[in-house]
Amino acid sequence: MTASAVAKRRLRGVRLNLEVRRDISPWRQAAYLAGFIALGVCISGLILIWAGVPAGDLLDQFLVETISDGDNLRSVLFQGAPFILVGLSASVAFRARFWNLGLEGQMIWGGIGATFVSLHHIGPEALRLPLMIFAAAACAMLWVAIAGQLKLKLAVNEIISTLLMNYVALNFLYHLLYGPWRDASDGFPHSAKYADFERLPDIFGVSGALPLALVVTLLIWWLVGFTRFGFYMKFVQASDKVAGAVGIPVGRITLASVLLSGALAGIAGFIVASGQEGRLIQNFSDGYLFSGILIAFLSRNNPIVAAIVAMLVAMLFISGQSLQVFYQIPFAMVQLIQAIIVICVAASEFLIRHRIHIVR
Amino acid sequence: MTPALDLVDIRKTFDSFVALDDARFSAYAGEVHALLGENGAGKSSLMNVACGLYTPDSGQMLLHGAEVSLSGPSEASARGIGMVHQHFKLVKPFTVAENILLANPRRSFGKGIREISDEIRKRSDALGFNIDPTRRVGELSVAEQQRTEILKVLVGGARILILDEPTAVLTDQEAETLLTTARGIAAQGAAIILVTHKLSDVKKFADRVTVMRGGKTVATIDPATRTTEELTELTVGANLPLPARSPGHFGRRRIEVINLRCARADGHIALEDASFHVRAGEIYGIAGVSGNGQSELAEALMGVRKPESGLIQIEDAGEAVAAASPARMRALGAAFIPADRYSYALAGSLSITDNFAVGGVGAGRYGSWARLRQGTMKKDAEAAIAAFDVQGVRTLSQKAALLSGGNAQKLVIAREFSRSPNVIVAHSPSRGLDARATAAVHSRLMSAREAGAAVILISEDLDEVLALSDRIGVMTHGRLVAEFDAPADRQQVGRAMVGHV
Amino acid sequence: MYELFINWIANTPGYAAPYALAALGLILCERAGVLNLTAEGIMLVGALSGIGATLILGGYPPVAIVIAMIMAALVSMLFATMTVLLRVNQVIAGLAMVFFCQGLTALLGNLFEWKNQPITGIGRIDIWPLSEIPVIGHVLFSQDMIVFLLIPIFYLVNRMLTRSMVGLRLRAVGESPEASDAAGINVTAYRFLTVMAGSALVGLAGAYISVASTKIWVDNVTAGRGWIALALVIFARWRPWRALLGALLFGAIESAMPRIAAAGIKVPQYFMLMLPYVVTLCVMIWVAWSKRGGATDEPGALGQPHVREERR
Repeated sequence: MTASAVAKRRLRGVRLNLEVRRDISPWRQAAYLAGFIALGVCISGLILIWAGVPAGDLLDQFLVETISDGDNLRSVLFQGAPFILVGLSASVAFRARFWNLGLEGQMIWGGIGATFVSLHHIGPEALRLPLMIFAAAACAMLWVAIAGQLKLKLAVNEIISTLLMNYVALNFLYHLLYGPWRDASDGFPHSAKYADFERLPDIFGVSGALPLALVVTLLIWWLVGFTRFGFYMKFVQASDKVAGAVGIPVGRITLASVLLSGALAGIAGFIVASGQEGRLIQNFSDGYLFSGILIAFLSRNNPIVAAIVAMLVAMLFISGQSLQVFYQIPFAMVQLIQAIIVICVAASEFLIRHRIHIVR
Repeated sequence: MTPALDLVDIRKTFDSFVALDDARFSAYAGEVHALLGENGAGKSSLMNVACGLYTPDSGQMLLHGAEVSLSGPSEASARGIGMVHQHFKLVKPFTVAENILLANPRRSFGKGIREISDEIRKRSDALGFNIDPTRRVGELSVAEQQRTEILKVLVGGARILILDEPTAVLTDQEAETLLTTARGIAAQGAAIILVTHKLSDVKKFADRVTVMRGGKTVATIDPATRTTEELTELTVGANLPLPARSPGHFGRRRIEVINLRCARADGHIALEDASFHVRAGEIYGIAGVSGNGQSELAEALMGVRKPESGLIQIEDAGEAVAAASPARMRALGAAFIPADRYSYALAGSLSITDNFAVGGVGAGRYGSWARLRQGTMKKDAEAAIAAFDVQGVRTLSQKAALLSGGNAQKLVIAREFSRSPNVIVAHSPSRGLDARATAAVHSRLMSAREAGAAVILISEDLDEVLALSDRIGVMTHGRLVAEFDAPADRQQVGRAMVGHV
Repeated sequence: MYELFINWIANTPGYAAPYALAALGLILCERAGVLNLTAEGIMLVGALSGIGATLILGGYPPVAIVIAMIMAALVSMLFATMTVLLRVNQVIAGLAMVFFCQGLTALLGNLFEWKNQPITGIGRIDIWPLSEIPVIGHVLFSQDMIVFLLIPIFYLVNRMLTRSMVGLRLRAVGESPEASDAAGINVTAYRFLTVMAGSALVGLAGAYISVASTKIWVDNVTAGRGWIALALVIFARWRPWRALLGALLFGAIESAMPRIAAAGIKVPQYFMLMLPYVVTLCVMIWVAWSKRGGATDEPGALGQPHVREERR
């Protein structure tokens, strides 16, 4: 070997080669994941400190205050319910390879459907609440069915169509609240208040929304894990081409999942409308789209894990609200923190899926 | 004389899988040097090291006696190593000239295209290639695309030319032309490395041959000094018996295809007026050069491609099914072994159990809609894996993608045969498998024939078709142009394949 | 009525410019094979940076716009790192980026007190005496700087894409990373830099909205225009000039909305505001309908991460 060749090799130094892993142990996977979530939390903490939250108060705000304070805890427990539902909604759609980014639009239609039942006093009082929930689910299903059919029949990209439909739904909501549905009693742009029997009752002093959401979680868990439908969904998610070739009705499975996803988001919309103000207000669905995606992504579409992640996101939300009050931190901070954590988890997947080879 | 290319003790692993185990190889200028081995023997990996695509874990590479360490394919081509990959590295929507310019950059685009086009015309005439630089690569035939690849490396000034399985996709005549051209290029002072698993190519065109097996180089010899049998033994190890053939007992017509016509996505008619029938206990082979409508026929038979017109009729179906869905075809007792396992048969990211059980779930074997008997699924999968000798299964919950090609194919067969089908559609069932796995697949098809199934065997491997079939249909340009009864004459079938009946 | 019509046509380019620039930036990224869903977020980064830089510099909007482009390119490095280097799912990465940028811009706009602070921004330039030509003068020669630059920008980018070595490589990387890799092109570097360059254009689109149109920063000032630009890319079949055409169509619709109201035609206000989204949806459906089963001209490797030594 000539001297120059040696020098050249030294200069080139170390090279990194990338390789797709064939398999990885679950422990290692969990370790990478935990490490990167911790990194995301640290980055978020630093941003909060920079934005003016005293470092010493951070832990206090996020953990102690949200759990120890009775009101806060109640808020967290309520807030968890719609998050669980949108998280499940996103994960059901993702399992069928459908990027449902129309969660907020579907929530709005859920709210509109339920409010329609309330405003027109449809059905007897005893049946009003189930009717409202049913109307919420049905309206949201119809809304998402448009994007679902467009994707299945014409291959219209659902990412863009569902997102655009959020804006359409939002403007329609504004139209209703500033027009025909404006509250006649005070003239503000929100709908008339629901009657008491039209709101979810409290159970043991906690909003009934959470038990409802937990029941739904168990149902979805059973559906995806223990039924033929769930088994077929697995194949559709893994490869729709293979699924079709082995005799699975891919179109029907996808459409059913999309409709289910819409129904869940619609019910979430009703819960927010009913549980917070007891009426339809502007922008009640803000922030749920990304939270839903985050929950589905972090839980890897597992319903039980989704419920747990949803409760953590609810804690983040409630502490975000108190940060707003005490330190004038804009609520956008919550969104930023969520995005940072998703980015970190996505980065961890790189190490889970690839192996880096150092070549000298 | 120093070799033009010398690879010494090359080792390469992929995530614990040893692809190259201290392999050695050297080629001289002016010779055609064949690299012979079964699929998976490490030929392609070794050549990917030589052309800079893979970085070896250890070992040396010498070019004209000087050690080099390639930083990537661009350095390899700058040093005069050109590789024509088995799967062409061409950008389909680009023209021939754009593709060649891409690999041999010039300062300015417009001037570059003009210069390159001139050079393509000049070289193409000299080699008798007849390639128009302004045509889109996507519109070219496979043989033309291959010529484009060769022109690409020649324009780049390659002195060491690696041809990876160049004849796999060509007709006998095209292959002959190509290899004669290759000899001509070698005679002008280039080193030609011919990566292949075809003994006939080696015997006829190679000056020397290096045999590889299991990632190791076994021997480097002059092919003229050995018989075909000796070369086979070096490549495969021990000799494997051919499946025993009993005379056929043919029953009624099990499947009948009538005037089937299929179009590709771009509107091109890929299959025209295909009609044939297969009887119970018969293997009907469909021979032809790859890309003559076989994929479309297989997809139509599987129910994943909707035919423009025509019928597929299965006995006992009551009526002819014009556009059957895969589910319906399966319900009628059809089984499928597709050419591309991970597109049409196995979900690589799902477990072995899931991939096995999916065949029975639809039929209700594992419980109703509301409940899935996962215990039964596991038991059945375990039994089938033992019965069909699927190797490399650590647990049943391991991903199907972790199986090697041969074992994945056995898993597909285990699933498809678990319901004792009466019609079997097998498309290139031994593609990418080693000799042992191929033999296993063939014997499964033969035993299905014994059991009275009607088997449609679509294969681009003429030897496979000749060895297994009771009748042979030949496809060219989307049409069934000839039909032969076994035993068929290889020459006649071969001529029909290129349209000279 | 005639006045209103001229006014509508003359205002269309101003509404079209952000769509056109954003779509152009996205076309660059997607021709290189990176599915870029970040437009909505990167536009916000451009918009906020444009306002911020103007406020800090106390004027000089052109300089502010350049700064906005640089900021957009810098922020897009995060997306490029995720998708090109770390091979993260491009949809997840794109969405995370949008929400990251929404959160970040809202936070910074608040912390730096840039919110609701009007600026002078860039104004119309009259090319005298051409601008005095009746009708045409007002439409063609009395526009702002960026609108005048639109045609040159499109010409240069299109030429780069179709008639240069860089463009050839860029398209090759998007069509077939394997072939490009074998041809010795650094796929990773090409994709990374293309994402930055494309995002600079998307940032320019955002800065145009804040510095030339609204001349003020409010949270989510882009109001979904990034998503419309994405739909425009599909409509344009990844070709720059068709994207410009589509942008003019959308500009015309958006520019018509206030004028229809001004003309006294009664359409419920919020249905009016829905219009751009509904029209986009209809265009997407029409495009999908008209090329059912046919080729979409989509870059061959769009959305696919490239790993060289992949083995099954």
